[in-house]
Amino acid sequence: MTQIESPKVVKKKLFSPIWLLPIVALALGAWLGIKSIKESGVEIEIHFPSATGIDVGKTLVKYQGLTVGKVKDIGIDEALKGVNVKVVMDYRAKPFLNNETLFWLVTPKASITGVEGLDALFSGNYIGIQPGKGNPSTFFEAERQAPPMQIGTEGVMIELTSDKLGSLDVGSPIFFRQIPVGSVVSYRLAGNTNVVISAFIQEQYAQLVKKNSLFWNVSGVKVDASLTGIKVSSESLASILAGGVTFSSDDNAPKAQNGDRFSLYDSEANAIGGIDINLAMEDGNGVEKGTRIIYRGIHVGTIVSKQLTTNGVTAIAKFEYQYTHLLTNDGVFWLEGAEISLAGIKNPGRLLTGSVINFLPGTDPQTVTPSNFVLQSKAPDLLKSKKRFLTITSTENMGIAAGAEIRYKQLPIGTVLSVKLTQDLSAVEYQLELQPEFASLVRSDSYFVPESALAIEASLDGVSVKSRDFTTLTKGAVSLILGKSKTPLAANTSLPLFSSIDAATAFFDRQHKVHLTLISQDGADVSQGSPIYYKKMQIGMVESINWQNKTEDFAIKLAIDKQFQPLLQKPKVFWRNSAIEVNASLAGIDVAVAPLQGALKGSISLGLLDSVNIKPNKASTTLKLYENKQLALAQAQPIRLTLPASAKLDAKAAIRYQGHQVGEVSQVKLNADLNTLTATAYLYGEYADHFSRSDSEYHLVDAQISLIGIKAPETLITGPYIGVLPGKSSQTAAHFIANVVASSYANVPEDALKFTLEDANLGSMKVGTPIFFRGIKIGQIDGYSLSTQGNSVLMQAHIESQYSHLVNQSSQFWDASGIKVDVGIFSGAKIEAGSLETLLAGGINVATKATTQDSNRLANGTIITLQHKVQNEWQEWAPIQ
Amino acid sequence: MVITSMKQQGKDIGLCLCRVCQQLNTTGRTHCLRCETELKVRDYGSLQKSWALLITAAILLVPANLYPITILTNQGQVRHDTIFSGIVHLVHSDMIPIAIIVFIASILVPWVKIIGLSIYLCAISFNLPISKKKLMVGFHVIEWIGRWSMLDLFVISLTVALVNMGQLLDAKPAPAATAFALVILLTQLAAKILDTRLLWDRLENQDDTN
Repeated sequence: MTQIESPKVVKKKLFSPIWLLPIVALALGAWLGIKSIKESGVEIEIHFPSATGIDVGKTLVKYQGLTVGKVKDIGIDEALKGVNVKVVMDYRAKPFLNNETLFWLVTPKASITGVEGLDALFSGNYIGIQPGKGNPSTFFEAERQAPPMQIGTEGVMIELTSDKLGSLDVGSPIFFRQIPVGSVVSYRLAGNTNVVISAFIQEQYAQLVKKNSLFWNVSGVKVDASLTGIKVSSESLASILAGGVTFSSDDNAPKAQNGDRFSLYDSEANAIGGIDINLAMEDGNGVEKGTRIIYRGIHVGTIVSKQLTTNGVTAIAKFEYQYTHLLTNDGVFWLEGAEISLAGIKNPGRLLTGSVINFLPGTDPQTVTPSNFVLQSKAPDLLKSKKRFLTITSTENMGIAAGAEIRYKQLPIGTVLSVKLTQDLSAVEYQLELQPEFASLVRSDSYFVPESALAIEASLDGVSVKSRDFTTLTKGAVSLILGKSKTPLAANTSLPLFSSIDAATAFFDRQHKVHLTLISQDGADVSQGSPIYYKKMQIGMVESINWQNKTEDFAIKLAIDKQFQPLLQKPKVFWRNSAIEVNASLAGIDVAVAPLQGALKGSISLGLLDSVNIKPNKASTTLKLYENKQLALAQAQPIRLTLPASAKLDAKAAIRYQGHQVGEVSQVKLNADLNTLTATAYLYGEYADHFSRSDSEYHLVDAQISLIGIKAPETLITGPYIGVLPGKSSQTAAHFIANVVASSYANVPEDALKFTLEDANLGSMKVGTPIFFRGIKIGQIDGYSLSTQGNSVLMQAHIESQYSHLVNQSSQFWDASGIKVDVGIFSGAKIEAGSLETLLAGGINVATKATTQDSNRLANGTIITLQHKVQNEWQEWAPIQ
Repeated sequence: MVITSMKQQGKDIGLCLCRVCQQLNTTGRTHCLRCETELKVRDYGSLQKSWALLITAAILLVPANLYPITILTNQGQVRHDTIFSGIVHLVHSDMIPIAIIVFIASILVPWVKIIGLSIYLCAISFNLPISKKKLMVGFHVIEWIGRWSMLDLFVISLTVALVNMGQLLDAKPAPAATAFALVILLTQLAAKILDTRLLWDRLENQDDTN
């Protein structure tokens, strides 16, 4: 089915909306075109000395990292003096293209402080621009190097002026308290004398730089080498190599502005500076430019210069600001250098660094800083008034010189001012001064001892070596030893100086000791300090030994600890200890070894006597020192014996009476005349009375071997001994002359009846020839001698006491020696003989006619004639006794 | 219906082709039988649209060629390349074949397309006496070649995606890339939107001998 519709007539639209599209595009294009024409840039020409590092189309112009232009072309200038670089600048840069605008070439730079323009390494060099003022221009002369500053950078750009660059370089860090806060961006010469260094402080630190900040160089390594050591200081590694600048600021000062100019100092000291003061002195020796001013070891200033004045030299010193409050009118300056003395070198560092000027602030509260001072040559002694002065005395100088230190616990607390003899010349007197703070150490019982530089103490306990410092060796030093007392020393009293602490202790001990004096014949092998033992415990020591001229003996003074005083109240004896005492007898060997210390130094023992042994005291306060314990306990009394030189007497020989030991010989000595011996001997105390009488008889007993036997056979083993006979005299003596031969009655008991027989011839009579009474021995011949006239022989005999009544004036004595042979024609042979002993040794018979009565008693010493013929009636006498 | 002559057209016998589904409709219908698309026997308005798009493309061709198309950062060195400077750079780098390809795709093709299209449009609008055969060949060439002109943008987009190493090596499209892309797009649209039957109408009416 076909349905034909009439065509619909549509009015043709003239313009489709699509036409907006080209219109928009056109508009856009037009805008772009206009914009590009507008922003097409400004073409300028920059004259560079050379085109090195500049590439056409590549090299950009940058301002603060922003690209503002590009090199379009490079052409040689007409004069062949460089190149003209055509640069198309961004249209926005147009306002900056003025007369004073600067262009320069930036090349990548790698230095120790860092790599700069790393981007330039890749992007190539670029041209830096610093906008300037003036009329618009299109031709510029390029700078040879970057201009010093680029205002507009965040942060502060400052300029430092210095007379030399030092080791600073572009990029050298700026430190504030060792924190890098910026860096040197450039430097340039300003005229002939100054270097201007531009430094950039980063924004966050910009407020640290003040108008009055002080800048100084910390470049490199600062080596402070002195005798006190080497001090190396530096800021950072980078500053060692590339130098650096540091600064200090006053908090309250106004902030620095861009472009502010500061001085760059060589060092902190120079930077900080100070006020000028004048020091007047007589001559400038030792004071140089740079000489330091020191207060308590702290550098407070420096000498800057010195100059001649009409009456001397004036040195101008910089006194550092921070110490100016110390400067007062009465402040004192004095020159102090190294001091070389025997006590050592004081301030050795100053040998190298030169003298320093010491400064002591005054007390004047006025803080107006005066500027004129006088340089003293000697240190003032301002503490003098407060120091404690003291005198100490000593018996002799211990090697302490003026200037010696006084120490307490090895700390110096003062000085010895002077050493001199006391007025009476009896002691040495030292003047001391003590630091005021130590004055309280001086108490009434304090004392001083010298310090020995080297003390070697070798004892059985070991060897200890103590040494002190060198000054002690040279000048000596004195140590203060505190006493126990709390009372301070009274004024005008002096304290003692002892040779050592031991001596002091000894001294003080002595004050607490009981003193005794012993009398000894000799030095007794003891010395000062020898110990005194009681039961092998030390109770004291020998204090001194003195020769007493009057009594020709030694007085040994003992000091016994007080606690042992009760011992001394008792009867006591002292003897000296031998190192080793060997008592060898047939009864055994007794070895006694003294305590070793005593053995070496000699020692004395105290022993107590049993009350039994106590002799009536001789009322003598002095005690004897005995040779050994036995003698002591026996309270032996010394005697001296003189013997002929022929006597074979030894020390230790006994002194016997009737075979009993009553003493002993301690020493035998040949006298100078070679004829006699002197034996020192002791009598045991209990017997001494008898044997020290002036008529006591001493004789030598030696072994005698004869037909009748061996006499004193024990002497064969022990050697000869001394026999003694007691005396009766009331006078005592200490010196005896001993006979070689014993007196006849040496061994005769006291109460025996002693008499003398007289005969024309000795016959077979001998010492020991017995006297028989009815065949029983009642006595014997004790000795014989020629009568003074030489016409008879006198035989000393005795009758033992129990038989003495058997003999009286009526008794007849006859010789019964040998064999009597009576041969008669009628009577036959008659042989008479006594005992076999009489046969051998002879004998004497006695018979008594009458009964013994007082009237006919035989007196001692009676001389009786010895009969030869026996009358028969004698043998029949038998009186009842 | 008998097709009397080769020169007889659909509209002459009351037939009209749906441009969308190729359904043959009678000219009386306003909408397609099958797809309900609006039917137009001839879209005379397309000529106008095509012209507008073409002119826009032509305008955009200017910034596309004058402005840099890529920003290449090579080791910190930034390089702005226009299409032409890029080709010159390739030539300097002794990559002449690539330079030729890029030249054809980026310069020759857009220009040829725009010029060609404008010739067609002129031919339609002003009845220029141009040989039907030449137009046919030209049309085929433009149709075929047009798609290749996106090559340059394709390379740029690939490069931008692949080369991204910050300061060392980086490629970025520059403003010209947009313009260039618009040129290609608009020319394509212009070619597409043109109701080519208008051209054939004219050709049919003309003596086809020359």
